[in-house]
Amino acid sequence: MIDQQIATRQVLWNITHDWVMYVLFAVSLAIAGYGIYLRLSIWRRGVAVDRFDRPAERIKLLLRHALLQGRTVRERYAAIFHSFIFTGFIILFIATTVVMLDHRFGIPIMRGAFYLYFQSFVVDVFGAMVLVGVGIATVRRAVIRPKKLVYTDEALRILALIFLMALTGFLIEGWRIAATNDPWGAWSPFGYLVARLSESLMSVETMTTAHLWTWWLHSALVFGFIAWAPYTKLIHILTGPLNIYTARLDPSGVILKTLDFENQDAPLGVKTLANFTWKDLADFDACTECGRCTQVCPANTVGKSLSPRDIILDLRDLIRAGGSDPMLAFEQPVVNAVPATAAEALWECTTCGACMEACPVFIEQMPKILDLRRFQVMEESDFPETMQEAITSLESRGHPFRGTQSTRVDWAEGLNVSIMADARDADVLFWVGCGGALIERNQKVVRATARLLEKAGVRFAILGREEKCTGDPARRIGNEFLYDMMVRENVDLLNGYGVKQIVTSCPHCFNTFLNEYPQFGGRFEVWHHSEFLSKLIEDGRLALSEKLDASVTFHDPCYLGRHNGRFDAPRQIVRIASRSSVEMAQTRENGFCCGGGGGMSFVDEPKDKRVNQERARQALETGADVVAVGCPFCMTMLEDGINARKGDRDVRVMDVAEILWQTMEVESKK
Amino acid sequence: MNIIVCLKQILDPEVPARDFRIDAEKKEAVRGTANLVTNIFCENALETALQLREKTGGRITALVFAPESGEDALRKALAMKADEAVLVINDGHPHPDPLAVAHVLAAAISKIGVFDLVMVGRESGDWGVGQTGGLLAEELGVPCISFVDNLENGTDGLIVTRQTDNGWEKARSTTPLVVTITNNEYNVPRIPKTRDIMMSARQPITRLTLDEIGVDAASIRAGGNYYEIVDISIPVKEVTCEFVTGDSLDERVDQFAKRIIEVTQAL
Ligand code: SF4
Ligand code: SF4
Repeated sequence: MIDQQIATRQVLWNITHDWVMYVLFAVSLAIAGYGIYLRLSIWRRGVAVDRFDRPAERIKLLLRHALLQGRTVRERYAAIFHSFIFTGFIILFIATTVVMLDHRFGIPIMRGAFYLYFQSFVVDVFGAMVLVGVGIATVRRAVIRPKKLVYTDEALRILALIFLMALTGFLIEGWRIAATNDPWGAWSPFGYLVARLSESLMSVETMTTAHLWTWWLHSALVFGFIAWAPYTKLIHILTGPLNIYTARLDPSGVILKTLDFENQDAPLGVKTLANFTWKDLADFDACTECGRCTQVCPANTVGKSLSPRDIILDLRDLIRAGGSDPMLAFEQPVVNAVPATAAEALWECTTCGACMEACPVFIEQMPKILDLRRFQVMEESDFPETMQEAITSLESRGHPFRGTQSTRVDWAEGLNVSIMADARDADVLFWVGCGGALIERNQKVVRATARLLEKAGVRFAILGREEKCTGDPARRIGNEFLYDMMVRENVDLLNGYGVKQIVTSCPHCFNTFLNEYPQFGGRFEVWHHSEFLSKLIEDGRLALSEKLDASVTFHDPCYLGRHNGRFDAPRQIVRIASRSSVEMAQTRENGFCCGGGGGMSFVDEPKDKRVNQERARQALETGADVVAVGCPFCMTMLEDGINARKGDRDVRVMDVAEILWQTMEVESKK
Repeated sequence: MNIIVCLKQILDPEVPARDFRIDAEKKEAVRGTANLVTNIFCENALETALQLREKTGGRITALVFAPESGEDALRKALAMKADEAVLVINDGHPHPDPLAVAHVLAAAISKIGVFDLVMVGRESGDWGVGQTGGLLAEELGVPCISFVDNLENGTDGLIVTRQTDNGWEKARSTTPLVVTITNNEYNVPRIPKTRDIMMSARQPITRLTLDEIGVDAASIRAGGNYYEIVDISIPVKEVTCEFVTGDSLDERVDQFAKRIIEVTQAL
């Protein structure tokens, strides 16, 4: 046995004129650099926004989601082929760097055990994984053909190129091993295989010649790849990590930007591409075309035209179509500029945030839709009539429900609920919300909540007739001006009463108070009723021994769950207050919207394209007797959906507070 | 064309019935937490005016007779793109009678100067008297066409379409003219653009006092003497339920018919 210490190989072997390679490399880098420069010069057109603060958190995010591919691997099939190609590329990149350090800079590292274990064996295996990965990806594109993908020639060319790069790599390795009779050849198992196979077919001379030509071909492919990548979706190799590094760090509930209404010149919302932030523009170039956002989009799922993926890709292509003068694209209004930004589509978004949650490179699709809505509402006053009615009602009545016959306090009739104006020493403000007070079905929910609070001895009060909408529907519809005004009024009112703690049974109010009011000087301790009630149980202030005799499935409200990461409290209530609980297939951060967010509950959806019915179907699929909710909008949407779809089955929709209250009632009746 | 659109500010008519209270003493509705809004037919009038201006050009002046709160109605009118705004301050009776109002509006209009067309809503959503337009025309000494839902520029004068119980009537009219506007599917008031709302906040509003427009301020402040409100009350809805009995179906139908006759006769 030869001493492993001296193991290495001849670099370049029969290649001469290797300076040509460096020239080619320089050229390819220059072409790639120009491509990157083009992208950068586009991003610089955007509005400034700071996405480089809190570096420690950003690095963590980068490690988790770029290096460890945190989100990419959520889809099993993609996880396999992408990690094969991805890790293969990283290992091969390291290997090439090692060769360069050793050969060009004379640092003797490509030696001994490191050479054998890493540079030969590991690299060989990962090279093979690239080939396998490309194979799997090709099968997916050519045979399985999932709907969410975009089928472009570019994608196929990329796969072919990677395949050829890896293949030629193995060929030249094998021929070198065979022709030089490399004693360490077997450490590169796949190259060795090529060597052994070739030996029986080719003479040493033929192999040497073939090696020479294939080596140059391999180099040309690699440099071609480097030069071409920034002009294709492969730019995500660079923009993906950058996008992850500059992603939003706060929960997605905080994501919308406030507007400065003093600054009169800039359009309100986004009119042209130039009104997007640089990060928005960078988002376009980070898209990997994976289609996950559109796949999870509730509006798209039920057959509507909204497709977050296409919004990103269409706008990216609009910019690129400008060719040498990409600025052309910056002059026209974004709405209706490309099919995906057709005005109708913008009014189908429920702002559920599923798209953002699904995106492996942290693209922010929903806020862009909101930016366009803002322009349509505030500058053009061109938006669906039923949403206009909601806005008008918000303006003149402080709630979005035109024609309601309920008052803010009807639900509390017969209960002993204090009004803030008379009970300034209350510890907790129970924020009832428009959906709770003014929609008949939900009055039962807020009633149950109030009775539970009372039973636990919480000193709480409501604002009663003084309560007005938090502004959430105005903001999601796109009327930031009205939202801004309503928030300021509310902050004054709440601070005037010295409110410290707010409990609300509406996740939209919850999100707005928690994430958005602080920007206007309203800082409160905010609780969703499910959290507050669950804490009361934990503290022993609410005791229950009975259970609801039903199997319950909990539907996550987007603004409690995905946007704010609160999944457990309502589940805990369901668990202790009911016989059994089941989960729907799409749950927690992957929850499927009820269809009511983003002002969509004010819109009459086409009968055959209703998000609530799709969610109801998913809920019914669990076989549960009760669908539990924690939001007044989910309540009405799902109740409609369940009633339309349940057939003869006895399935009810109940708020978690109702479930809890019912167990208490059963108990007290005994 | 110089158009003057008169707007009335009223208590939000969409206050839920259960929140609606009246003050029997003062003989008026209690405002409570409800908002003041522009009367819907007045907004239809403004919308019709805006559409007419798009075709004929000209200027629109919005005119309001109200307390200081009337500024809100005018700001909204400016946001909808009226050119000018005039507020005649009402520092007297909260709901003067239609003749008093017509008197004030006519005086204000004369102060504003020349006009071709005055547009008012056909009636208000609070008291629903529906006479101000006609009385105003009388005061101004110009003709009045009521229940109008469309105006076009004809070869000689305006082509005015008015709704009737049986359909539409088209009239040709010279100016000056007063029209009272009713709603149709085309004059739904536009939602102002936010940018225009922001701009409207900085536009000037002309303020006039009753004394400045030269009317008998004392009588207006007292609410006028066209009519007197004797009493107001919220109608009480009573539902009684009665079951007819009988052994056979025939007997029950018989009884039922008898009761219907009795009840209708009692009315
Ligand atoms: S926020 Fe929800 S509805 Fe809107 S585009 Fe994203 S996934 Fe679709
Ligand atoms: S935006 Fe994100 S999730 Fe959507 S297709 Fe592009 S990379 Fe995939």
